[in-house]
Formats: sequence, structure tokens, C-alpha cells
Amino acid sequence: MAGSMATAAKKTVTNSLAKPVATPPVFIRLMRYTLAHWRWLIQGLLFLVLFTAADVLGPLLIKIFIDDYLIPGDWRWQPIVLLVMLYVIANGVAALFGYLQALNLNQIAQQVVMTLRQQLFAHVLRLPVKRFDYTPLGSLISRITNDTEAVKDLFVGVLGVYVQNIIRVLGIFIAMGLLNWRLMLVCGLFLPMVILVMAVYRSLSTATFRKARELLADINAELNETIQGMPVVQLFNQQQHYARKFHHTTEEHFSLRMKTMQLDALLLRPMVDFLYFMTLAALLYYFGISFAGSNLDGSTASNSVSGGMLSGIEVGVLYAFVNYLGRFTEPLIEMTQRLSLFQQAIVSAGRVFQWLDEPVEQNEQKQSVKISAGEIQFSDVSFSYDGKNEVLRNIDISLPAGSFVGIVGHTGSGKSTLASLLMRFYPLTQGVIYIDGQRLDSIPIPELRKHLALVQQDSFIFSGTVAENITIGRPLGLDQIAQAAKKVGLHDYIASLPDAYQTLLAERGSNLSLGQRQLLSLARAIAGEPKILILDEATANVDSETEAQVQQALLNLKGEITLVTIAHRLSTVTQADQIIVLHQGEIKQQGTHNELLSYEGLYQHMYQLQITRVD
Amino acid sequence: MASLLLVLVALLNLIPPWITGEIVDAAMDKRLSRDFLLNNVSLIVIIALVVYGLRYLWRLSLYSASFQLGVLLRRRIYDHLMLQPPAFFQRYKTGDLMARATNDVNAVEMSAGEAILALVDGVLTGVVVLTVLVFAIDWRLTLVALLHWPLMAYGFWRINQRLHDAFIEAQARFSDLNDHVQENISGVRLVKAYGLEARSMEEFNGGAQAAADANLAVAMAEAKYEPLIFVTMGASFLLAVGFGAWFVVQQQLTIGDITKFTLYLGYLIWPMFAYGWLLNLLERGTVAYGRIQELLDTEPAIVDDGSLIPQGELSLRWEIESFSYPQSPKPVLKNFSGELKAGQTLGIVGPVGSGKSSFIHLLTRQQQVDSGEIYLGEHPLAYYQLQALRAQWLVVPQEAFLFSATIAENIALGFPEASHAQIEQAATLACVHDDIKSFPQGYQTLVGERGVTLSGGQKQRLAIARALLIETPLLILDDALSAVDVATEQKILTCLRQRRLGKTTIIVCHRLTAVEQADNIIVLQAGTPIETGTHQQLIAQSGWYAKMYQYQQLEQVVEEGR
Repeated sequence: MAGSMATAAKKTVTNSLAKPVATPPVFIRLMRYTLAHWRWLIQGLLFLVLFTAADVLGPLLIKIFIDDYLIPGDWRWQPIVLLVMLYVIANGVAALFGYLQALNLNQIAQQVVMTLRQQLFAHVLRLPVKRFDYTPLGSLISRITNDTEAVKDLFVGVLGVYVQNIIRVLGIFIAMGLLNWRLMLVCGLFLPMVILVMAVYRSLSTATFRKARELLADINAELNETIQGMPVVQLFNQQQHYARKFHHTTEEHFSLRMKTMQLDALLLRPMVDFLYFMTLAALLYYFGISFAGSNLDGSTASNSVSGGMLSGIEVGVLYAFVNYLGRFTEPLIEMTQRLSLFQQAIVSAGRVFQWLDEPVEQNEQKQSVKISAGEIQFSDVSFSYDGKNEVLRNIDISLPAGSFVGIVGHTGSGKSTLASLLMRFYPLTQGVIYIDGQRLDSIPIPELRKHLALVQQDSFIFSGTVAENITIGRPLGLDQIAQAAKKVGLHDYIASLPDAYQTLLAERGSNLSLGQRQLLSLARAIAGEPKILILDEATANVDSETEAQVQQALLNLKGEITLVTIAHRLSTVTQADQIIVLHQGEIKQQGTHNELLSYEGLYQHMYQLQITRVD
Repeated sequence: MASLLLVLVALLNLIPPWITGEIVDAAMDKRLSRDFLLNNVSLIVIIALVVYGLRYLWRLSLYSASFQLGVLLRRRIYDHLMLQPPAFFQRYKTGDLMARATNDVNAVEMSAGEAILALVDGVLTGVVVLTVLVFAIDWRLTLVALLHWPLMAYGFWRINQRLHDAFIEAQARFSDLNDHVQENISGVRLVKAYGLEARSMEEFNGGAQAAADANLAVAMAEAKYEPLIFVTMGASFLLAVGFGAWFVVQQQLTIGDITKFTLYLGYLIWPMFAYGWLLNLLERGTVAYGRIQELLDTEPAIVDDGSLIPQGELSLRWEIESFSYPQSPKPVLKNFSGELKAGQTLGIVGPVGSGKSSFIHLLTRQQQVDSGEIYLGEHPLAYYQLQALRAQWLVVPQEAFLFSATIAENIALGFPEASHAQIEQAATLACVHDDIKSFPQGYQTLVGERGVTLSGGQKQRLAIARALLIETPLLILDDALSAVDVATEQKILTCLRQRRLGKTTIIVCHRLTAVEQADNIIVLQAGTPIETGTHQQLIAQSGWYAKMYQYQQLEQVVEEGR
């Protein structure tokens, strides 16, 4: 039964990979990115043509030297010096432009990938929060980094090579044609043969290549899973079984790789080299026939000496041809080998575009709607993450501006969802939330973010100065920063640091205590002078001393700000004007701490539970 | 074998340029006959065929050897991992082990295949071609044409260095970018809550720019290879033809010689490249092989040299004086003795970190007690064969590990031959059958990333079903019902009691309702038992157990919203 595990897993891999990725649209979309850099593109192509021209000129010059000067024995120095000079210049020019065009093409590739990355990242940040609930973070991160990296390989390793090599081969053929079009045709036979071989190789290898890659992915997945599940495998004494399975997969992978390698060996380099030798043979034969044509035919014709030179092919031409022939085998092999890279990159690019095509959060609010006081009202609000199970049911709450409200409940009561809805992370399933009498979804996001601040359980500290961590890019003066720090009781500590507010904080704030980090987040939240402050389990992880400090800070804010405190620990909300007790998405009780304690019910039981300590 | 073929290929490859030269000379001297031409051209064709065949053969033997090496290494690592105790997997992170089994194996494979190719083919070709140039054509011309080659070698070396640095830099920038994405995507709610999108994008754009710059630096270094080769070769051609012409005029060489010479020059580029590449590959291969070897050399912490095979139902007895993990000197268990008679149920409870799980590790020989002994029947655990011992017990852990396979296959993990009816029965007893039926493909639904995501409670119940499918003398539930609600927990425990009548069971738990029916309960605190007895006895003692029980009753009330 477990023997079919591998097959089942494999099937899904095949399916996910075989998902038809429409190649032309993805490719064309990618190409559009290069158009933005058309200046560089044109420049690069120009350099490439110059490079190719200078490149093919070299053997041409040597041919002229051999045929016109060396063989006739013409030793006038001026033309020879001129030839040498030309050769040196052509060489230098080719080297220079060869370098420049490579840089140019690379630059375009890097720019395109950068643009794609930035677009993707910006796009992902604008996606609704809901999207992140259903996507494993690892795969999303891999889209932004690894897949775009694969696209880079496409530009640098595939397209660049193709453009360069095609132009190069063309250039060589033009030079050949200029020298002797008949010989060019002989060499030309080489080309269709190579293209045929490439086509055969491609059609034979694509499937095997893909299968081998999938199997490798299976091997890695199996390894990963066995490492993680090793205790289970050992407990159930199934080591033999799993080892057999693994051996089987590696065996299969090995035989597939052998197959691809055989194809490589049959059709790739050895084949192209073979064709090269064959063409060389044809070239030599044709040369021999036409060079000494009259010699061979007329055996001893008197005019053969001069006639042979005129009608036949000159030695220098052969020299140049042999030279050219050697120069275009390498580009052709390179192009064949890059084909598999191309397919991988297209798959990656397809995945990137899939993300880019997802709709982002809509911002169609009227700019005029403003938050002035901070009054909150929930009217018959219901919410469900998955459309099946309701996390909140028919919630009706009215929170006057400037009041302090505590929301408590056991795990799974829906209290954190309440905060997420207020932050407009998710659209409501039913009902309306009003802020200052205006529908929440009519308030522009920037206005909402400005007047609604959230402090969460995990404080988020950037690497940067203390001041930067409080302002996080908002235009706040030093006095405002200090004011916020004073309110949370962190000012004295910050002032005692060597560089005070300019002290650098390490990544994730490792040079601050947990409590200090939470106070800093609180300072950050109130520095913008929001109308509404939401604390979502903000003191769940801090010691009682810090909690007391946070309490004090909250009391200082009482009246200025609408405070919504969501807590598991009841001690955080005893001072609240109003406490709402949630249970499984519904409001169970409502009142002040003293009112709620005065009669037996959920709040009282929760209170008792928290004062009972068992060590 | 492969090397021999390579030598043959290198030698045969020398012939076509030679023939080309000969034909040119023959043409110049007007002694080119049809027979001569035909013979030579057919010789090239024959050589081409032979070389093609030889090349195919050496590839086959060289690469198949290196692939085989890869397969062998992968299997050895896998088999070795199978023998390791949990401590090993705590020491090595999954990512690290994966890296060794994949990247390092690939690197070794590469150096076995490509490096040998580079060594034999590259260096050999170089030597052979040079020999021909010096001895068969003209040593003076060789000297002149290759005079500046050491400069090229130096240039290669410099570019290599530069490339190496640039590459490391590019890798670092890439991982920076990765970190940034990781941080921002995991904190996406916060980023949104504060309207930090602009700032985050700005930072990302900076990172993407840095990555692009670093990559461009790599490309710039790489792009220097070609002009260098170009200029070197250009100069060599010029010198060869120039001086060659002089020798031709002096009648010391022929034009055919020059043609040969320049063709051979082209053969020398690859060896120059191959040398640097070879060093690189060899270096990476050795490092990788070292890392693999380190892994394979790890001695298993538990020596399996027992010979006994447990027979029938046996009682357990333990006298643990002290046990501590290698990393910390503080003992996790001390002065803990007790007995569990065959067929009885034992409950072990206590606060977090009291040593409950460590005790289970000792019982199942995943760890070895420092001083003291654990007996199964008459004999210490170490006297038994590990494999046979494992067949004695079954532990259901708190974190149920499920494989990416169907639900049925996951349940049948310990008994792959189980029939569908058996699997369904186990699932029903574990109160998970109805859940499974509600999935789109029922028992054939895939678990994990590519299939359904299960809740903690569902996973735990699947693990129980897994355990119910095989009947071992001892069953250990290590907090295995923590994510299941109390009513379901009681239902499952009742099923278990009926099914395992007369068999030994240990229940380790946090929620005390799970041990209410146990024959004996031990309360552990800081590695030492502080209370023992049945549920009623412990309640009467009004110690830790009684207080905890009361607390959990209240908690239950709150959980139900009363």
C-alpha cells in the first residue's frame, strides 16, 4: 500500500509541471520589458554587428596576404604594413566591441529582471491580506527571488547567446560568400544538418529532461520528508520499506540521466564535431577538384599553371574557410545546449506573471471622507474566513470616541478577527462597520492608516535608529518622537543610550528587551497621534512590570484616543470603560469589570481561572 | 578506460589539420592528384567516424561512472540517516542534511565527471598539440607564436579571481534580497497596518538594484574572457603567419605547414580554460566530499549489540539514578524508580519540562540512561536487539508526522499490507472516519502541501488510527490527544481500553482527564516523582494533581463559554 506513495506523489508533480503554460504570450510579455531599454538594445546590436564585422575581417586579411603577396612573392612593404595594421586594428576593434556588446546585453537583462522583481514585490504588497492566508510563504518568496533569477538566466544565458551567435554565424557566411560563393554553399550544407540534429535532439530530449528533473525533485522531497519523519519511520520499523523506495527512485533517476547523457553524446558535441570534420572533408575535396581542375583533367596541359590559379580556388581562400568553419561550430553547440534552460525560464516567468495578474486591493474611496473623532460602531457584523465557518456572528457594538474598551475571550473566540476587520484587512461577510458615522469601506486607506494604529503581540523592529523606528518614514519632529516615548515611559531609557534617539538598533531589535521592544511599538503607534488605537494581545508576552508600564501609558491616553484593547489576560482591561466578552464569535457579556465580576458567568469564571495558579 | 579513449581521441584529432596542410602543399606544388585527394579526404571521413564513436564511448563510461558514484553516495547517506537516533536530527538541521545529500553529492559527481574530463582532455590535448607544434612543424615558430601566452594565463587567473569575488558578492546580495522579502512577506499585516508599503518597496528596490549591480559585476568579469582570448589568438595568428611567411620565403616551411599550424593553435584555447576550471571543480568536490564523509562517519549514539528477542507480554521496571542530555549538565531525570506490570495502564503527568518525554525516550532506547537501568522482563533493554525492541512498542507523539501520501497510506504506515476495511476500522475507532469521509476523495485524499491541510486534532486522530492498526505489547501515548476535545478524547480512550484489553499502555498527558482511568498515575516534577496513586487517591492527597484537576475543570467551563 505504502509502495504506491511515491507514485501518488509523483503524479501530482507531473500534473503541476505539465500545466499548460502558454509559451508565446509569456515570451512576448517578457520581450516587451526589453523594449523599455530600446536605446541600449539598438546600441548593443550595433556593437554586435561591429564586433562580428571586425571578427570576420581577420581571416580575410590573412587570405589577401597569402594569395596576393606571399604566393606571388610580392614583398613591397607598404601594402604589407597596411595589411598588418588593418589586422591589428580589426582585432582590437573586435575585442573591444565584443566586450561592450556583452556588457550591453547583460545590462539590459539585469535591468529587466530588476524591473520585474520590483513590480512583483510592489504588486504582492498590494494584494489583499486574505491572499497570504492561503499561500505558503516559502513559495511566495521563491516566486519573488528564485523565479526572477531563472528569468535572468533566460536573458543572459539564452537570448543573449542566441542573438550573438546567430549574428555571428550570419557574419561568417557573408564573409564566406564574398570570398567564394560556391565554397560557401559547401559549408552551407553544414548548417541545415546541424539544425536538423538540434531539432531531433530537442524532440528526443525534452521529455526525458523534464522527467529527470521531476525525479530529482522527488528524490529531494523524499529525503526531506524522511529526515523530518525519521522518528515515525523508526518507531514503526519501516526503515527497510523506505530505503527500498528511495533506492528505487535513485535507480530510476540514474537510468533517466544515462538516457539524457546518451542523447547528449550521440547528438550534441560529438555529432557537431563529426559534421564539422565531414564539412572539412567536403571543403578540401571541392577545393582540390577546382584548384587543380585543369591539372587533373588535362593531365599535362600547358596553360594549367596560370589557368589553375584563375579558375580554381586560391590557397588563401581555403585558409580563410577552414578558419571560419572552426569558428561557427562552437556557437551552434552552445545554442543547442541552452534550449533546456529556456523551457525552465519560461515556466518560471509564467509563474511570476500569474502573480502579477492577480487583482490588488481596490481603492475607490472618496477622498473627502475624514476621520475626526474616533467613534466606532459595529452593526450586525458577521465574518467568515473560508465562507463556511463563521468566526464572528451578528456583532453589534457601539464605542464612543475617546472611550477605553476591552475585548476578552478564550482562544478561538474571534477577538483578533475583530481587530483585523477594523484594520480593513478583510471585507465583511455581513453588516457594516462605521467610524464617525461613515462606512469603513468609504474611508480612503491612507486616511484609515493615519488615524488607526495597531500594536500587535510581536513587535517589529527594523534595523535603524530608535528615532527611525518610531517615525517609520512619517514626517515627525524630534519633539513629537520624544513626546511619544515619554508617554510610554521609554524616554528616560532612550536618553540614557550613548546616541539617545540616534542609537542604532540591531536587526529585530536584539539589543532591546522584549518589554522595551513592545513599548517602542506602542510609542510608534501613538507618535502619529491616531484617533483610534488597537492593542491586539500587545502585552501577552511581556513581564508584569512592563505590563504595568503599558497600563500606565494607556491610562495617560484615556480620553484623547479611542482605545480598543484585545486581551487574553484580564488584568489588562480592568480599567476599561466597557468590557466585551466574546465566545465563539458572539457577544456573551458586556459591562465594566466590577459589573461583570458581580454575577456568576463567563467573565467571572475566566477571572477565577486566571487567579488560580498551579505550579 | 575512459582516459584511454580520451588519449586516442586527442591523437586522432590531430590528423585532419595535418591532412589539410598536406593538401595545401600538394596544391601549391601542383602535384595534387585525384587519388591523393580522394585518399586523404576519405581518411578524414574515417577519422571523423572513429572519433565520433570513441567520443560517444568515453562519455558513456566516464559519466556513467560519475552518475553511479552520485547514486551510491545518495543511498549511503539515506541508509545512514535511517540508523540515526533523534539526537542526531537535533544536531543537524534538516536544511543542512538536505544540502549535503543534494548539493554536495552533485559537487562530488561534477568533480568526478567533468574534472576528470578537464584534466585528461584539457591537459592531454595541450601536451599533444604542443609536441606536434614543436617537433613536427617548427619549434621557432611555436616559440614566437606562443611567446605572449603566459600573459594570457596570467590574465585568466586574474579574471578568475575577480569572478570568484564578484560571484560571492552576488550571492550575498541575493541572499540579502531573500531576507528582505522573507521579513516583509511574513510581516505583511504589520506593513499594511502601518501603511509601510512605500518604505518597504523603497528598501526592496535598493536591494534589487544592489543585486543587479553585483550580477553585472559578475557579467563584466566574465565578459573579459572573450576579448582576452581574442587578442591573444589574433596576435598568435599574426605572428604565425608573419614569421611563417618569412620561413616560407626561406624555403624552410610550406604554406600547408602554416595552415596546419594555425589550425592547431585553435586547439590550445580549451586546455588553457580547462586548467582553471579543473582547479575550481576539484576544490569544490573535495570540500563537498569532506562534508559528506563527516556525515557518514557519525557513530550512532546507541550501540545495537543486543541479542535477545522479547517474548510475550513483559513487565517494565526502571531504576533511573540520573539522566541528562549531553548539551546540559543539569539532570532531566533523577531518582526515578518504578514498575509497570504487563497489561496495566500507567499515567504520567506533570508540568512542562518535568521530564515526561525524556522518560519515554529512555524507555524506547532513543536515549541511554547515564546511571541506572531499565529492565524489560528480566533483562536490561540493551540486551535486546534494537529492531526486535522496536516491534514491542509504539509511541504516538504529540506532533503527528504525516507523509505526502494519501490518508489511507498514512494510516497504513506501519502495516502497508492492511486491507481497506482494516484501515477504515482503525479510523472509525480513532473517531476520524467521518472527517475523512468529508474530504473530496475520502481515504484517497492526499495529505500536505499538494492535498488537504489537516487540523491539529485531525492529525492526532490519524496518528492514533495508525497506532491502532498494529497491535504491539506496549502502546505509549505521548500527549497524543492534546488537540482533541474532551468528549472525543474520552471516546477514543474507551475504544482503546476495549481493544487493548490485557495490553500495557502508558499515557503521558497534560490534560488529566486522559489518565482518570489509569491503574496508576505518577506526577513528575523536575525529573522526580512527587505523587503516585490512582485518580481517587491523588485527588484525596490534595497536592499538585488535585489542584491541577480543579484548575482544568474550571478551564473546561470557560472553554465551553459558561
